[in-house]
Order: sequence, then C-alpha cells, then structure tokens
Amino acid sequence: MHLRKTRHGSRLALGAALLSVAAVGPVVATAAAEPTRFGTVDHETILIKAEKVIVRPGKVLENAQVLVEDGRIVAVGAALEAPADAQVIEGAVVCAGFIDPWSGLGLSSSAITDRNTSPATRSVDAFDRYQSAHALGECLRTGVTSVRVQAGMSSPIGGVGAVVRTDPEAGSATAVVLADSNAAAAIGVTSRGRATDVFDRISQVDKLRDTLEAARKYREDEVEYRHELTAWQEEIAKEEEKLEKGFKKAKKARDKKVKDAEEDGKEFKEKKYKEDKKPRLPKYDADKSMFARVVEGELPLVVTAHRVAELRELLQVTEPFGRLRLVVAGGTESLTVADELAERRIPVLVWPAPLGTSVSDELDGHDLSLAGQLRAKGVKVLLGSGGSANSRDLPLFAQLAVGHGLDAEAAFAAITYDAARALDVADRIGSVQRGRDADLLVLSGDPLRSSTQVRYVLSAGRVVVSPNE
Amino acid sequence: MMKTLLRAALCSLTFLAATAEAGDKYAVKAGTIVTMNGESIENGVIVMEGGRITAVGSEADVKIPWDAEVLDVPDLVAMPGFVQAHATGGMDRSNETIDVAPFLQISDSIDPVAFFFEECIRWGVTTINVQHSTNCVIGAVGMVVKPHGMTVDAMLVKPRSGVKVCVSPKSGKSRATQMQILRKTFGDLKRYLDGVIQQKKDGDDTARREALYQGRELDGEKAKGRAMKGEGWKVDGLELVPRGEIDEKQEPLLAMVEGELAVYINCSVPMDVPHAIELARDNGFLSSTVLVLGSSCWKAADAIKAAGVSVVLNSTLVHIERDPVSGEEKETFVPGVFEEKGIPFALSPVDNTTRGLWYQAAVCVGHGMTRAEALAAVTTTPAEILGLTGRVGQLAKGADANVVLFSGDPLSVTSFVEYVLIDGKLAYDRSKDVRTKYLLEGITPENTASAAELDEAPTDHNGSSGEDDDENKDDENKDDDSKEGGR
Repeated sequence: MHLRKTRHGSRLALGAALLSVAAVGPVVATAAAEPTRFGTVDHETILIKAEKVIVRPGKVLENAQVLVEDGRIVAVGAALEAPADAQVIEGAVVCAGFIDPWSGLGLSSSAITDRNTSPATRSVDAFDRYQSAHALGECLRTGVTSVRVQAGMSSPIGGVGAVVRTDPEAGSATAVVLADSNAAAAIGVTSRGRATDVFDRISQVDKLRDTLEAARKYREDEVEYRHELTAWQEEIAKEEEKLEKGFKKAKKARDKKVKDAEEDGKEFKEKKYKEDKKPRLPKYDADKSMFARVVEGELPLVVTAHRVAELRELLQVTEPFGRLRLVVAGGTESLTVADELAERRIPVLVWPAPLGTSVSDELDGHDLSLAGQLRAKGVKVLLGSGGSANSRDLPLFAQLAVGHGLDAEAAFAAITYDAARALDVADRIGSVQRGRDADLLVLSGDPLRSSTQVRYVLSAGRVVVSPNE
Repeated sequence: MMKTLLRAALCSLTFLAATAEAGDKYAVKAGTIVTMNGESIENGVIVMEGGRITAVGSEADVKIPWDAEVLDVPDLVAMPGFVQAHATGGMDRSNETIDVAPFLQISDSIDPVAFFFEECIRWGVTTINVQHSTNCVIGAVGMVVKPHGMTVDAMLVKPRSGVKVCVSPKSGKSRATQMQILRKTFGDLKRYLDGVIQQKKDGDDTARREALYQGRELDGEKAKGRAMKGEGWKVDGLELVPRGEIDEKQEPLLAMVEGELAVYINCSVPMDVPHAIELARDNGFLSSTVLVLGSSCWKAADAIKAAGVSVVLNSTLVHIERDPVSGEEKETFVPGVFEEKGIPFALSPVDNTTRGLWYQAAVCVGHGMTRAEALAAVTTTPAEILGLTGRVGQLAKGADANVVLFSGDPLSVTSFVEYVLIDGKLAYDRSKDVRTKYLLEGITPENTASAAELDEAPTDHNGSSGEDDDENKDDENKDDDSKEGGR
C-alpha cells in the first residue's frame, strides 16, 4: 500500500511524470501498511483468568477461567490449564460482550429512512463496515460487541433486521451473527422521527394487520397446496396403474377402430383423455414468505410504537396471532398497558436517552424511570440506543436506567442475555458458556458501574481492544 | 460555423475509411516499437495484411512485401492501441429507466458518429468495451467496439461482451433495496426455470397417460435442450427445454449464471465489494466477474484478492480521506494497492481527451510504478479482462492491426498521436485533423471561417445533429482538396 501524506507533492509529481517518464518521478513513501483483515480471520488460543466470571445474569463463578479457541469458548471452569501456545489475559471480571438490540450504526442514512422497504429488504445489505470503521471501533471500546441494525426503520413495514459484530475488521465468516434476526414495523413514527397524524396512524395499523393476515393466508395456501398435490399424485398414480393394465385392451380396441375407419373411408378420431388438473403452486412472494415466518413465530417482530393509543391498537391487532413474538420498541406510554404486556410476555425495548438527545417520538423526552417501572410490573425490559448511531453509549444508557430504578442485574441482562434471546442469537452470543462465540469483555470491576474500565475486548475470539492501545 | 468545422472533421475520417480496402497490405517502419509482448524494438517494422499483423521485428529481420503501402516514420514510436476495459460513452442514453434490462442490447444504443469515438481515436484508444452506466440494477448487454466505422456492425470487435450489474444503488433506491432486487432477479430466474421444467415434465406425463388411455404407442422423445452449466446453483432437467423456449428476459440472466456472459459489477464504495462477490459466488459467475471500482474500494483489496477477480479502477488514482479524529488528510495511491496485492487492474481515463488512458499510465509511473506495469494497465491487462488477449493490446503476429504512432515517448505530455491504424488501415492522421489544428494552431480548413471569426461565434463542441446530406457532399469535396496539401 502506498500511503502518502499530503504536501505540495502530487501535482508537481504529475508534471514530472508526464515530462520525463522513465524518469525519476517523486519518491514514493511506502509506509508500512496497516494490516487489514477483510476476507480473512485470525484465530488464537486465549486463556482468560478472572476473579469473577459472569456466565449469564445471576450465575457467577469466582476465580474462574475461560478458554477460547478458534473464535469460540471451549471451556469455562475453575482449574483450567493454559495450553502451551495460549495468550493469557488476567482481569477482575469477565462477562459477555454487550448487545445493542436497537441501533442504526453503520447504516447509510438512505437505508434508515428508505420508505420503499418491504418485509424482504435485508438490513445487512446496508451495513457499511468500511466507512463507519471509526464509530464501530468506539463501540468496541465501551464493550458493545454486537448491534442489531435495522433498515427502513420509519417505514410502516421495515426490512429484516440483522445482528452484526462491531469489529470493523471482522472477516466474512464472523461479521454477521444473524442476517435475519427479526422483522420490523412502525406505528405513529415518520421518517423525521415525528408522530404522524391520526389517519396515518390508522392506515399504519391497517397495513400491519393486512400484512400479517396476507402472510397467514400465504402460509395456509402453501400448506393446502402440498396437501392437494399429495392427494393428486396418489390419485394419478392409481390412474396410471389402471391405464398400464388396460393398455393391451385399449390398443386392440384402437387397432380395430382404425381398421374400421379405413374400411368405412372415415377419419379415425382418438378418444378424448381427461384427467384432474394438477394443483398449481401458489405464486412465490418474498415479502409474504418472510412475514409468514413472523406469523409462525420463527422470527420476532419489533414494532416501534410510543403512544398508548398506538400500543393498544398494536396489542389488539396482534392478539389473534398466537405464535407471533412481538417486541415493542420505544413504548414511551407503555406503562398504561404494562399488565397486558406482562401477561403476553411482550418485551419492551427502551431507550433511556439523556436530555438533549433527539428522540424518535413527539413526546420529546424519555422518562429514565420507565425501564425500572415496567420491570416492577413484570414486563421484560431490553435497552437500546433508539436506532441511532449512539450504540457506543449503550452502557451509559443502562447505567441511567439503573440510576432510575432498574435493578442492575436486569439492566445487565437487558444488554446481554435477554437481548440475545429476544433476537434468537442466544446460541451464539450473550453469555459466557462453552460453545458460544467468544465475544467477551474483561473488566476492571462490575459491569455497568461508571468507574469500571473495559480492559480487553474479544470479538469472535480475536482481541480487538487491549489496555496498551 | 463551428458546425462546418465539425463536419469537415467527420468527413476526413470517413474519407480515410473509404480509401483502404480489406486485404490491403500495409507496413509501418517506426523508430521504436513498444510491442507489449516482450522487448521493445528499435528501428522496427510492423507488417499488416487483412486487418491482422503478420510480422513484427527489426528492419533487418522483417521483409516488407513489395506491394505493401509503407508508412515510413523513423521518428515515431509505435504502440498497440490502448484498450479501455469499461466505458460508458458513445451511447444514445447511458442508462434505461427499467431496473433490470439485460434483454436489451447496447448495440442498439451506440451512435457510431458520437464525438466520444472520435476522441477515442484521436487519443489512441482503439478498443472500447461499451457498457451501461451506473444508474441501473442490471444493464443491457454490452459490446466491444473499435472507434472506427460508420455502422455499429463495422465497429464490432466482440458482441455480448458482458452485462453491467450495480451493487451500489440506482437513484431512488438504498443499498438494501438495490440488493433486494438483485437477489429477487436471480431467485425469480431459478423459480422460472424450475417452473418451465416442471411444466415440460407434467406435459410429458400427461401425454404418456393419454397414449396409454388411447391405446397408442408413444415414441420416446429425446431431450432437445442442453443441461445447465454453472458454478453456482443448477436446476435439474433443463435439457428437457429447448433453449429457444427460454423467455428472452430470462435468457441473458441464465447466460450469466452459466458463466457465458461476463459480468461487470459496479462497486462505488468498499462495502459494495463483499456484496458483489457474494452475489457473483452465489450465482456462479464469480470467475466471469470483473469489479468496476470507486476510488475508496482499495480498502476492500483483501476481499478482492481472496475472490480472485480482476478490477477496473475509476479515474481517481489518488484517494484522499480525512481522519475522523485528527482531521489529517491521508492519500492513497490506488493502483499501487492493487499492484502490491497482485490483483489484475485496468485503468480508466479521466476524460477521453488529454487525460485519457496514457495520461493515467503516466500518473502511475509518477507514483513509482514501473513503465511496464503502467502500460500493461492500459493494454494487455484490459485485453485479458475482455478475453481478447493476443488480439488487442499488443503488437504481435496474429493480433488485430491496431497501431498508434506517437511523436515521442507515449507517456510524455509533449507527445502527440500522429497516426492510428485500425485493422491495418489508416484511421487517423493528425496532419489532417482539422479540429486539433484549429484548437492548437488556430488553423481552419480552407473555405471555412477563420479562427478569429470562430472565436466570436458561440462555441458548441457537442452539436453534431442537423446536418443534411447535400451539404455533406460539398464538404467532402473541399476536404478532398485540402488533403492534397497534407503530408
């Protein structure tokens, strides 16, 4: 790589080059290339020794070790020996890397505000790891190792969200944790982050209902087609057997008829054959196919809604879809419907934004105690950065929520284990267990304490932050 | 008045085209021959016949046929004509409004008298791959042309040279919705093929049962098509469907998937590169893919290297960016990155005049690249990308007789293109290039307005329309006269 610092050089150099070629040209400083790892991944063996390993919220091992090999956690225990070639890291506390379940980091603004997204639009296609390398690096330093990015956040039906790693140099094998973590919708939010008027809101609710119903119908049609096809195939197989058996007889009859026709000087006509029509495959529709998975509960549906009227309607519309896994994002006035949310086990994704942060609803201010109050009513709470590029500050948001009544363990769970479970990535990240990807933090103290330093960060087994950086 | 001048220029080119006939023997004696095929030759000879080079060598080694027309230019330097691996000029419209348009042909949009081609020849570019521009999802089927000839057929070098695919979004789309259409396009192709095959199978089954029922013997029909090829996905049973029955909108997409139609994927920023590679790999056209890159795409060079594809760089050779924290500017010499990684790269011109391909090669030399490497990026490498190795981009026996004669070092700003031969025929002669004469020396052709008068007139360099045939004829005669006074 030829890296040159700007001086007056370039124009002059050009002139020189043109005038005398073979020529001397300017001296090119071949500065040492910074290693980039796009396309390749380095894996190392690392043993982390810690006074405290937080396996997952509520389960802590004292004086334990975590062994990392080839990007995965291969052992967690109390008396692990370091393999000969292992790098040994020591620290006070080890826990899973933080996950921001509500981010817009690394997405081009056109993808975030794209109003033409449909359910099959994939957010991962809009994630720019190269241009946002700096912002991603900042996330790593505060311990945020993965984020859920969402394109078309303000369109009534958004695209498919994705959980991606924040390591700017992640290779193609590790960059994406899950390319289809969720479907998304919004009620009462426009592209400018302001509330829509009441009619828009009604049409957004209708659109969501229609989409869900059409998807259910699509799935039903598919199933019905398969049944009909099987029945038809069975029938035809029987028919064919019968025809095979009767062929000799039919041939004789035909030969006779041909002969008769010839003798009579008439034209021979074949017998008309009829059979049941084969059932037709329903026309493929990527959007409906995608939402059919949502209706079946294969993917969670994250719906941004703030006001109580919107939340009530949302709850009503989704009620008939028993398998649907709804997540409410925002939920500024969700306390009013907290009982139903708790009963239906619908998590609320809250953004405890500090004053002065531009927020995505007209209420212009998030009650920092919302998370704590929802939790007190038995609602599962997740914490995120509101679909902004502020994922770096996720630990700060969690601290604010703790300072306003959310218990520390719930806050920690909200940005690790619970977030991973809500987005179906708990088998990969969100806890320090054998077999999980090694997205780990080595901290100087308890997580979510403002005095705690992030000393090491591992992303898919690679040390991406270390104290001497 | 400028128009008259233009017409004259146009006709001089036409006239030259008319003088040579196929099968003509032609020989060039040049002071230096840069062959791009081994060592350069001092005092060399290039012999051409039937549009091809039949011999290249030193004057001592190569015999000039007695009946060959000889261009004896001991002061000039001969080079193979430059090759532009990807160009978006010379078309009536550089993009269509429809998103996916590979059932259209660029040849229907190429304008042989476009100023673009005239400039190409003036600055030594003799092979051009014309592709749709970047405001599309999938463009029309492109073609390789030479900038010479009055019809598209006459300009043809290679038909169906490839299709443009854009991973970076068309206007009105975001990257996510752009990729969505690309995925859908190939997903739809597969579903379409599955459907056609199933229909064929079902039809055959019904015919068999009908015959059984009617007591008729059925002759087994043989498959009429050919099985699907390709390194990505395949559908079984395509041999049942004659290729002529494939929908014309799907056929070029199938040709892409089968690796029969090259694919030029536009990536304007580095994040596009992994998507382009994924798309190409998933659909089996990675080995026939060329990436057309924006200036910051050097950041994805490792991924490009790993994918093993060639690239066409854009005209910005030095990429400048500002550090988000320190504010410091950082310059990266883009071709240097690709050279270091060993990724084959072709250069693109800044414009089609003074900052064309040779200028770009000279800039590369100025940044420390070897002459051989820089010249390869405008000759042999683009030829290889186009699958035309041995045919264009070098002066060797059997190659198309495309020769550019420079007044001096081809990489020097003081050099000019004096002559261009295309297919062994003189296609450009600077001494008769009225436009250059006017612009550089202020000399106007006889019987036209003087330079001073022209300066007063509003200048319109692009207007080439509205001529009528009679006027043309007049001009041709005048041009004829002026030719006598030429070289």
